[in-house]
Amino acid sequence: MTNNLASIGYIVGGGLKESLKVRLTVPAQEVQEGGFVVIESDEWLFYGLVTDLQLGATDPRFADEQSEARLPEQLAGLLHGQTLYTNLEVLPALMLEPGPALDDPAYANWIAEIDAELRPKPRPLPVKTVPPHHARVRLAGPGDIAQIFGKQEEKKNFVIGYTREQGHPVCLDLKQFVQRSSGVFGATGTGKSFLTRIVLAGLIQHDQTSVLVFDMHNEYGFDDISSDDNKRVIGLKTKYASRLRVVGLGKGALIRGQAPDFNLELAESDLQPEDIEMLTRELNLKETTPTTLEALVSTFGRQNWFTAFREMRNGAIIEDEDGKKRPAPDSVAAWASSSGVHQLAAEGLHSKLGRVFRLPYLVENPASDTIGEIIQALEAGQHIVLSFGKHESDLDYLLVTNLLTRRIRQAWEKRTNDFRSKGEREPRPLVIVLEEAHKLLNREMAAQTTFSTIAREMRKYYVTLLIVDQRPSQIYDEVMSQLGTRISGWLGDDDDIRAVLSGLAGREALRGMLARLQSKEEVLLLGWGVPMPLPVRSRRYGEDFWKELQGEKQGKRDQKHILKELGYD
Amino acid sequence: MTAIEIGRLLRAGTSGFVVGCRVNQLEAPSFGALVRVPLENGYQIYGMIHDIHIDDDGLVRQLVTAEAVDQSVIQDNRINRNVPVEMSVLAIGYKQDGRISHLLPPRPALSLDVIYLCESEEICQFTAEGRFGYFRHVLRAAELPIGELLAAHVQQAGQIHRQDGNPGWASAATRELITLLRDDYATLMSVLGALGDALPADELKLGNNA
Repeated sequence: MTNNLASIGYIVGGGLKESLKVRLTVPAQEVQEGGFVVIESDEWLFYGLVTDLQLGATDPRFADEQSEARLPEQLAGLLHGQTLYTNLEVLPALMLEPGPALDDPAYANWIAEIDAELRPKPRPLPVKTVPPHHARVRLAGPGDIAQIFGKQEEKKNFVIGYTREQGHPVCLDLKQFVQRSSGVFGATGTGKSFLTRIVLAGLIQHDQTSVLVFDMHNEYGFDDISSDDNKRVIGLKTKYASRLRVVGLGKGALIRGQAPDFNLELAESDLQPEDIEMLTRELNLKETTPTTLEALVSTFGRQNWFTAFREMRNGAIIEDEDGKKRPAPDSVAAWASSSGVHQLAAEGLHSKLGRVFRLPYLVENPASDTIGEIIQALEAGQHIVLSFGKHESDLDYLLVTNLLTRRIRQAWEKRTNDFRSKGEREPRPLVIVLEEAHKLLNREMAAQTTFSTIAREMRKYYVTLLIVDQRPSQIYDEVMSQLGTRISGWLGDDDDIRAVLSGLAGREALRGMLARLQSKEEVLLLGWGVPMPLPVRSRRYGEDFWKELQGEKQGKRDQKHILKELGYD
Repeated sequence: MTAIEIGRLLRAGTSGFVVGCRVNQLEAPSFGALVRVPLENGYQIYGMIHDIHIDDDGLVRQLVTAEAVDQSVIQDNRINRNVPVEMSVLAIGYKQDGRISHLLPPRPALSLDVIYLCESEEICQFTAEGRFGYFRHVLRAAELPIGELLAAHVQQAGQIHRQDGNPGWASAATRELITLLRDDYATLMSVLGALGDALPADELKLGNNA
């Protein structure tokens, strides 16, 4: 696999723990931080990432003195060429056995051995050794990127962006992507939701996975107006009218002035005591709550406790025949004393649950089992965008996502068990997209919501999460460490950067890169779901994107197009 | 093409020799020029002139102090000198069996061997051989004005290479000097200072990007 791409330098030192050092033989401007480079030794090709550029001099005096003032220009040029240099720091990530060159007589033999499975097919391995001194270093070509990140032509590969310097397409293996939970991060305004749209479009187009989006800000379903340039942003519903259903929360809800495909109403009987416990912080509940809830369930049963409790009158008093005031039979106090629950605790809980009692989409008898419909649609390979409409409070978000996800989890666990034990149809993989994920997956909530279980264990049951968040540091570490693929835009906060990089090798080197990403349209792909970390210029969401995705799918990007995207038109 | 004879050997050692010459031979040689001493069986020693000095004798001392010396006396003293003009030459290589080497010659020349100035063709041949190995001998001679000597040499040889269609020679030589002297900042800067004075501005241009 000899490649006549121009060399940019040679190895002068370094190691696995610290980065490799490369003496640059071309002007420093030709290489940027985050560049994808290939190091060629006889036995291996090493793939690495430029993490730093450093100016050096053979003697500090050559750097200190401005000899161009003393010497003729040409002579100074020669002097600087010999004494001043730039070193790259390259974080080695992968290595690959290239085998004999194509024109080598040994090549045919080598290929034959691989075909006969006498020799393992060469694939990129984590770096376990170092290239020798003076090994040639060059920038990666499109072939190298395809070798590592997959070929654009294969259906499972989805172009997520382009390398920053040369604009070679970088693919995301969607099949692998949905096998683990993943995350899209970035400070606000770095294009998270555009990136999420792009990923979702890829998943829907790929059509091997169902997608459920908890769309808290009503962005994904119908067309929207961009907050940055007031241009129209195409919604997923517009492009996938038949395959994607928009669900509005609450009866008669309108999303962006349009009627959704159907409306979601939750049955009170679906509400479990755990759902209320999860709202402890949101509703400021007391520590007596679990005891009270337990008593309610034991009195009225898991199905009816909520309705019964709602119908009780708080503080209702009647006078008995003696003129003495005592709690009415349908009051909270009466139930409390009959069930041996502290009266004030029960009354307190009742009044605090007032917000939940008044939720318009939580009804005793919904017109239809909309949750069931959603599950059916997802199982049938459709995609759901659940828009919260005007119910945008944290309470709505916590309650609805948790309730719905619990049902989904039950359904998928059952299907998977049926598939394993009874040989029924394999369940369709499902990706649940969570906006503002830190609300559900923070340290306190993670133990109580279904999501941390999904992040940790549900991959066996074909359900994974796609977390979209701007404050990854707020998300429970145990969940963060489960995220296979992390796509991160610019992050300013040190804690956030640390969270995104948690559990990855070469953290120090990547940290700076994350902080120096261009604030828009540049993202860092990382995590063990991608072969190696790489900063890319993400695709631009717009008409062109849709044309490429849906129209002439294999259309090669011509040079003019790339230049135009880079701003050289 | 007649070879230009510049004198005969006075004394010699492994690392250099001294040539004595008549005043009428003094037109041709110059500081930094390459010379050769052809010996038997195609063995030939190359050298670089690093010093030309004119010693006094008793008569000169008397004449210097005398008043109103006649012009003819001065001319007579100059042309018919008692002691020769001496040129110190640094041995920088040799040729044996048709091959040029930048090592020190294995044995020196003998007294009264004839010294010739190198022709352009020979200069090209000798300086283009290998990778400027003969710079070693110059740089080792700490007592010499290395910068001036090298500047004179690069100027002369560079011009010849240019005419010969090899304009990159001067910058290649400069680059080699920088590499050799990288760790000796003071010497390097003095050499570069001299080179900067000696070389025309466009001399280095062509080889710069090579």
